[in-house]
Amino acid sequence: MLVLYFARSAELAGLRSETVSVPRQITSLQLWEEIVKIHPRLAVIRDQVVFAVQQEYVLLGDQLLVLHPGDEVAIIPPISGG
Amino acid sequence: MDESEDVPKDFIKLKSEKLSVEEVSELVISPYCGAVSLFIGTTRNNFEGKKVIHLEYEAYTSMAETEIKKICRDVRQKWPSVKHVAVHHRLGLVPITEASVIIAVSSPHRVESLEAVRYCINTLKASVPIWKKEIYEDEYSWKENKECFWANSEK
Repeated sequence: MLVLYFARSAELAGLRSETVSVPRQITSLQLWEEIVKIHPRLAVIRDQVVFAVQQEYVLLGDQLLVLHPGDEVAIIPPISGG
Repeated sequence: MDESEDVPKDFIKLKSEKLSVEEVSELVISPYCGAVSLFIGTTRNNFEGKKVIHLEYEAYTSMAETEIKKICRDVRQKWPSVKHVAVHHRLGLVPITEASVIIAVSSPHRVESLEAVRYCINTLKASVPIWKKEIYEDEYSWKENKECFWANSEK
């Protein structure tokens, strides 16, 4: 799975993308916890992020994700386009 | 007149060069339309008393383009008479007073394009993954649109 980091999440993680191995079936909250294990500094934005899984927004919670190798998961801090 | 000669088109571009109002408005001009409505978002020189030096935008480009396409699709459902829609958003460093976003919509009559352009910018601020960093003299801050539902509600 390819994880993409943007804006503040990229600053906190210290990189913009990386490949991460996680269980194929995982809730979105468990996925967040796995990513925070790799980058503990991300913990501070827990209440201010959503995921984009294959470019679809997913909230952190009980939703079960079925991930495939090569799937793209992005960490999306609050947006500010326009 | 055979209106199929000018089929409705969406023009979506994210780019790091300076945006052109003339270019974006010309994209949507149509002989079948009596109205072109424009929104230009520009960069301000102050925030809460702090002097803003410049701004920096970044995007999840592929998803941002997909989300803008969804907005265009919604516009056509809500205002079927809308002809062309153009959305240009700037990325990278944007000096003060320059445009960060330009949206243009054409329609046979003005009501539809005016309503559609408002819908486009409001929805863009709520759903398109683009981020703005304001650079002050000795600090910076990541901005959060009030339309973004997962932003910290105290802000």
